[in-house]
Amino acid sequence: MSAPASTATSAPAGGRRTALGIFFVILGWELAARALAGAYLLAGPTDVLTYLAANAGLMWRALKVTLTEAAAGFVIGNLAAIALAALALILPRAERAISGLALLVFCLPIVATGPILRVFFGPGLGPQITLAALAVYYTTLIPLLVGLRAAPATWFDLVRSYGRGPMAMLVHVRAMAALPYLFAGLQIAAPAAVLGAMVGEFTGAERGMGVLAIRAMRALDVEATWALASVATAVSILVYAAVRRIARMVLRDPPPLILAPPRHSAGRPRNGWHAALANAAAVGGLAVILWWGAFEAAGVSPFFGKRPGDVLAFLFTDPHAAMHRVTLGAALAETALYAVPGYLAGLALGAGLAAILVLRPALAGIAMPVAIALRSVPIVTTAPLVVLLLGRGAAGTVTLVAIMVFFPTFVACLHGMRQAPGQVLDVFDSYAAGPLDRLIHVQLPAMLPAFFAAARMAVPAAVLAVTVVEWLATGAGIGSLMALSASVSDYGMLWSALVLLALLSCAGYAAVAAAERRVLSVYASEQLA
Amino acid sequence: MTRGFLTRRAALSAGAAGLGALAAGFLPGRAQAQTAVTLQLSWLHSVQFAGSYIARQNGWWQDLGLDVSLAPGGPNAPVEPPVVSGTALVGISAADYTAAAVAQGAPFRIIAVAMQKNPFVIASLPGNPVNAPADLPGKRLGMAIANTPVLSALCQLNGVDIDTIEIVPTQYSAAPLLAGEVDCLLCWETDLPVAMAMQGVESQTMLMADHGYALHSQTYIATEESLATRRGDLVALMAGEVRGWETYKADTDAAAALTVEMFPDAGLDLETQRLQAQRQVPLMFSDLTDRQGFGWWTDETVAENTETLALLGHDVTPDLWDRSILEEVHGG
Repeated sequence: MSAPASTATSAPAGGRRTALGIFFVILGWELAARALAGAYLLAGPTDVLTYLAANAGLMWRALKVTLTEAAAGFVIGNLAAIALAALALILPRAERAISGLALLVFCLPIVATGPILRVFFGPGLGPQITLAALAVYYTTLIPLLVGLRAAPATWFDLVRSYGRGPMAMLVHVRAMAALPYLFAGLQIAAPAAVLGAMVGEFTGAERGMGVLAIRAMRALDVEATWALASVATAVSILVYAAVRRIARMVLRDPPPLILAPPRHSAGRPRNGWHAALANAAAVGGLAVILWWGAFEAAGVSPFFGKRPGDVLAFLFTDPHAAMHRVTLGAALAETALYAVPGYLAGLALGAGLAAILVLRPALAGIAMPVAIALRSVPIVTTAPLVVLLLGRGAAGTVTLVAIMVFFPTFVACLHGMRQAPGQVLDVFDSYAAGPLDRLIHVQLPAMLPAFFAAARMAVPAAVLAVTVVEWLATGAGIGSLMALSASVSDYGMLWSALVLLALLSCAGYAAVAAAERRVLSVYASEQLA
Repeated sequence: MTRGFLTRRAALSAGAAGLGALAAGFLPGRAQAQTAVTLQLSWLHSVQFAGSYIARQNGWWQDLGLDVSLAPGGPNAPVEPPVVSGTALVGISAADYTAAAVAQGAPFRIIAVAMQKNPFVIASLPGNPVNAPADLPGKRLGMAIANTPVLSALCQLNGVDIDTIEIVPTQYSAAPLLAGEVDCLLCWETDLPVAMAMQGVESQTMLMADHGYALHSQTYIATEESLATRRGDLVALMAGEVRGWETYKADTDAAAALTVEMFPDAGLDLETQRLQAQRQVPLMFSDLTDRQGFGWWTDETVAENTETLALLGHDVTPDLWDRSILEEVHGG
């Protein structure tokens, strides 16, 4: 009776629906390709299969390289996330500083970090693995921090009553409570790692899927472009499915009932603001010291490795500082015009689709393959084509940003709703409440922590998407400005753009977090401990 | 026991020393250690750099005591940082990018010029051709916004009002031209037109270098410090390059075949590489290089370049070019 919605359909029926869903996706794709034949835009499944058959060896070798990079990045990034989460738990005072610094690093735009990593690592796989790790660690860290707190207070009381300390709580309570959240993070991480590895190959790699993708785009080789996108998508889906299967084997216990009293902080809102500002200042200060210290220690050339002081000079004391600020401001405004609607649309789509699937589980068979495929298609191969398809105006960019934001939100929300405690659903069942009532009163509130965690994470994801699209396809906004600055050695502009973009991402994140605290103080106050 | 052991060890070490002495005596050339240097390319591996592949394949650098790594570039791999930081001894840039980097404080000199003629073209379809700058007004031109200074310079050189051209910002692909989104493209002679030809689409190309746009491309850059302290390595590296490119010119098909063979994972198509190899010959070789050798320039070509650079907003002096390495290569 208390079975989560996902298992409501029996396995064979679900499998048939999934197969049917995949069939319709492929049919629609083939028809679209036939309709657009001759436009050098879209290759259909038959073209892709023909290409793969003719170039199986080449594709297999490239896949092995890129998968090696992605897997290494996946492991390193997720281990780093687990280590950071554990550190944050052991040193609760440091948690905000850790997550703040982690966010700042996650917000660094790849257009700028790629070349720096290449100079640092030299030839080889270093930048590819690092970018893959950077693409995944944060989306694991945040759900993990949420999960480590998603345990009923009574369990902690129980551990305490046995006279055991924080370590026992971590092992017996928190780690177990965090597992579902960890798996949600790992699922989101799979396509991100592949994307990170491919973008890493743009910094001067010998081989790999990213290298082939650049070549195919230049050579007008539409079959190769879509074959690469298809293979990358298929692999991402397989990894996603594998993580989900492991999750199902490990997670057999139904989620616990968390009853936390709402926290009343009426008398202390101003203190909260002050603390947040102080924390932001501390994180900022630490970041500046680390940045300066690391560059000085490694002897990074000041020609391209600008220091904090150089950026300040570029923006404020340089004779052309005012002009620099105008250039950056105009580019940022242009970017925001696409990023904000795309971000909001992606959030709405993700949460909306998750809610629909909870109400109508039968649709999952069709919706899931489409959702996973959409997100797994590497944006670097398809962005130029999508922009060509939808036009260089707002539609193309907004759509791509929405796709990047949509999937993590969707996965997190679906997951959050499944965390709805069985006991509460039993109560609703015993009163014969309908699925809509269950959704509104139980599942949506249960989803809120996961939704907000996803909404926070989606801020950097949206920035990543919009800058990549601008860089590779539209040639507008801050993404294009950064690429252009690097090509004409205007590293003062590049670093200033990097700093501003990271700060704005963090500000957007903080704004979502502020909204989150207001909502969660009512619905899930255990998260605000 | 102990004594026997010691004796054995002594005998062994004496033998090793003897072998070492033998090796040093008989192989004087090999005893000289190979110096590892990196040449930073400006793009992915392709026939665009085939002269370097020929030099490496034939061991010409090895003979000169150099172990050369050819580092590929890419869309997010600027050439200047590895050269400034010393990771690469020489990088392949272009006069305008080098001028921009020098203005930002990078101590670069151009030590050789691979592309005597700039490869930028306006590509169009025969039904609606652009044969001269005068054909541009009223046309929709697809290009990266970043290249606006290039178009502006071409317009100034040819008395065309840039405002009469409708600039459509596009990514670097021939698709917008084939889809009818634009009438012409600003691109390289050796990439998008070759891609179109391989798809069976013949295009017209108007080489900007034939209309006053004099700008050295695929230029070899090194830092002033390297020029002062590592002259021997620079001369050896460029000697291999010169020999490789002269060989390339003699048989571009062989160069294309070698490129495809050396980089089986790069997804290169032999026919495409052959066509690209042929099309870059007129850009890289001229009467001047026939007389003076690969990579050469004169005071006149530098003067033309500084004029174009001024139109692009870069004020440079002829000092940006340093011919001393090439003089040593061709003189010696």
